[in-house]
Amino acid sequence: MRRSSNSIVMIAYAIWVLFPFLYLLVLSLSADWRFPSILPNYIGLKNWAAVLGGETGLVKSFFLSLFISLLVALSSTLCGFLLSRIVNYNKKKNLWTIISYFPYVLAPVVFGACLSYYFLRLGILGTTFGVILAQFFIAFPYAMIFFSPFWTEKTKDYENLVATLRGSLVQKFTKVLFPLSKNLILICFFQTFLISWFEFGLSSIIGVGKVQTLTIQVFLFIKESNFYYGAMSCCLLMLPPVIFIYVNKRYVFNKIL
Amino acid sequence: MLRFVGFVLLLLSLSACKREKAVQNIDLLATDWKEIELQAKGSTVHFMMWQGSPAINSYMNDFLIPKVKELYDIELKLVGGQGPEIVQLVMSEKQAGSNSGQVDMSWINGETFFQLRQIKGLWGPFVESLPNSQLIDFENPHISIDFQQPINYMECPWSITQFAMVHDLKKTPNPPANLSDLEVWIAENPGQFTISNDFSGMTLLKSFFAEISGDKDGLNGAFDEQKYNRLSGQLWKWINRNKKNFWKEGETFPKEQTKMDQLYANGELSLCYGFGEGSIDDKIRQGLFPNTTRVYPWKNGTIRNSNYLGIHYNASNKAGAMVVINYMISPEAQLRKIDPSGMDANTVLDIDKLSDDWKVKFENREKRKYGATIEELAAYAIQEPDPQYMIRLYEDFRKEVIEK
Amino acid sequence: MKSKSRYIGLALFLLIGLLPFGLALVYALLYSFGIVGIANDGFTTKFWQQVLVEDTFVQSMLYSIVISILSVVFSVGIAMLIAIKYVSKLEKPFMSFVSYLPLCMPGIVVAFFLIQILSEAGWISRLAYSIGLIDQLQSFPSLVNDSLAIGIIVAFVSVVMPFFLLLFISVYRQERLDELAHVASSLGASPLQIAIKIKIPILLHRTRMIIILYFIFLLGAYEIPLILGQESPQMISVMVVRELNQYDLTKISEGYVVAVMYTILISLLTLVVFSYHRSKTVSHA
Repeated sequence: MRRSSNSIVMIAYAIWVLFPFLYLLVLSLSADWRFPSILPNYIGLKNWAAVLGGETGLVKSFFLSLFISLLVALSSTLCGFLLSRIVNYNKKKNLWTIISYFPYVLAPVVFGACLSYYFLRLGILGTTFGVILAQFFIAFPYAMIFFSPFWTEKTKDYENLVATLRGSLVQKFTKVLFPLSKNLILICFFQTFLISWFEFGLSSIIGVGKVQTLTIQVFLFIKESNFYYGAMSCCLLMLPPVIFIYVNKRYVFNKIL
Repeated sequence: MLRFVGFVLLLLSLSACKREKAVQNIDLLATDWKEIELQAKGSTVHFMMWQGSPAINSYMNDFLIPKVKELYDIELKLVGGQGPEIVQLVMSEKQAGSNSGQVDMSWINGETFFQLRQIKGLWGPFVESLPNSQLIDFENPHISIDFQQPINYMECPWSITQFAMVHDLKKTPNPPANLSDLEVWIAENPGQFTISNDFSGMTLLKSFFAEISGDKDGLNGAFDEQKYNRLSGQLWKWINRNKKNFWKEGETFPKEQTKMDQLYANGELSLCYGFGEGSIDDKIRQGLFPNTTRVYPWKNGTIRNSNYLGIHYNASNKAGAMVVINYMISPEAQLRKIDPSGMDANTVLDIDKLSDDWKVKFENREKRKYGATIEELAAYAIQEPDPQYMIRLYEDFRKEVIEK
Repeated sequence: MKSKSRYIGLALFLLIGLLPFGLALVYALLYSFGIVGIANDGFTTKFWQQVLVEDTFVQSMLYSIVISILSVVFSVGIAMLIAIKYVSKLEKPFMSFVSYLPLCMPGIVVAFFLIQILSEAGWISRLAYSIGLIDQLQSFPSLVNDSLAIGIIVAFVSVVMPFFLLLFISVYRQERLDELAHVASSLGASPLQIAIKIKIPILLHRTRMIIILYFIFLLGAYEIPLILGQESPQMISVMVVRELNQYDLTKISEGYVVAVMYTILISLLTLVVFSYHRSKTVSHA
């Protein structure tokens, strides 16, 4: 009895999560769908054909975004992991922790508007590098804060143990710290990847619309009046992370959990 | 330590403040056109424009970009951005003393033109130097005067458009076309009308404004504070008296025209409006609007204006921008732009000035299936009033209506 | 050697973590006093006076804080409940995949989706109409762009809750809470006692930094309140952007005033919360 009620909750949760994906997919395939119809009057590929057929550069944007996001995720996860260790083992840990919150204290849109001036002076406004750097400024502190609960006394004890056993620094990381934090590193990598992948405000200001990430292209449609196209854009935007999770689940997460 | 960092930051920012260099000035305006085309050959032009419409994007990507590549060997690159984004960019470039702008040209209309002129963000006057500008109908005040300001060849007209009301024949066969009818109609049909808190909504308010003034041309001329106060007082009174019958009982207003289109599309609103003579053809074809949607004129008239192309003060490729703009106002490009199943925007060219074969092509063009033509709305055209009216309407719509 | 690399690490951290923030804040500060800005003519306090006279800032600030607190409380609460009760179920392959899926939905997509579903002409309203619950779309309650900010809060919770769920599950495993619970129950504790006395405090303690971080995220959120909010009052980012993009260029500095005030206020708030936490942990030890 109890078991079945538990299953019902899980099924409900699964439906709650999956429904939006399904709804947006159906909406992207439909037209002529308005109050009070529960089902669309048209289902077909005309929206997809209109946008994918006419527009050029979506594929290019896709790869550009992938490149930017992978780089941002990799660099911020790595820097965040290594630097948060130093910061959290430091005596003034609390001060440093507060500092890592600062970039978020400034609302991102304002951050972008103010930063653009300096990027301009450095000559990196409107460049891919500029966008990567700006996204890194947002993703890195996230990684810092994300990893800080990991550096507990217990972790330090493990580290000391390695040192007592005369393990090298490399061994400490490869044999103890990375295996211990593998799950967290993966989540953090994924989260920073998503921060970069979905980032719009900052990227559009720093990229001046010249660095056309997929998100920037896609958000234009979401803001448009045609919500069928908007739904299609949502699907495009979410497809890569969904695949990412699916692949990861099969090869990585399963082994850990 | 922290104090030191703060001090360095302050110094850095201050030193960066004011260091403007003189903009290089090759006199393109006195150069022969052939020479300009030669100079533009093989160059890249960055064009900042609003990219939210698939029809417009397709016109650019599938027609214009390949064309200027083929004809002039110019790489035209589109950059997403509109109104405030353009102004913000130019302002920070001025601030940083940047000589080679990120963007060469942009698509602007009245209020952006006004702002860019305020900060001297435009380069020109360049329009007379374009050979095709001779075909433009500068006699038309709706083209040569932008928000009561002569354009002085600082921006090049690209399309002309009129604001129009939109209704659904099936739901609202007899839509209201003046303020007193509207008052009655929304009382009978509460929740189905609203004013978007953006350019389009303010444009509608300008129409209401003119109606309250009792005259189609009541707002012409320079900004008149007294007139504004008198008329706006009546306008806010009218809105506040009726807003309980607006969408969401007038508690809030849609942020943008696009949002309003969505509300009309899914059936929440029964009246809508917009530029491009209502721009309903492409939305019906996309299956967004019901195919019983039609356009109708507001009795006292609606705003007619043009949109333009401007070259940035610090454009790195002014010659290229000139060549591209010149092609954009060529008969070929303008004819393609009229196509109702494409971008569906009216030409700024004077048909009488065209050669005979172009004249025939323009006259035989495919007509809109659902929307009205700009000629049909000609009797209802109002000129854009002084930009001050717009700025004040914005501020006061927030103060007197939204926040009340 | 070792301490040297540590200092380089700290310096790097300051360079990346503090410098951009500091530069941006200084720029905003200078702008708010009219020292920079193409449309400004030099130092003035008039923008500060103007903003301080109006109550829109205070209103917007309170509005943002209340919405963010409610959203974080709901998110943490729901995630905690699911994590503690269903942790083993959620680790089955399919459910595990499902629990990661919501992370693929950025705020703007959630907002867009909620408009399609919850608006007066949305899908739920259509369902209600078809089974006769409402007789016209105007009778459907206002759930988006509404005066109670229901739409914003639902969107915030939808975005943040799944993340907390994953986080709690991960910490749950890391802290071996199952083993602790096992020990506690063999000592006679009831499941409820175990949850309240052991699981919840440990989970909260270990994740409190991230909870605060998400609160700050939500305070500064832009896209969701832009799409689902009202025109007045507005959440702080939406209000700042409105001021920055306004047509009257001579008033842009007012937006920077709001930005600076917001930043100072949140910094102070963060400081207070942290020093409170520190004193608490110290007194516990």
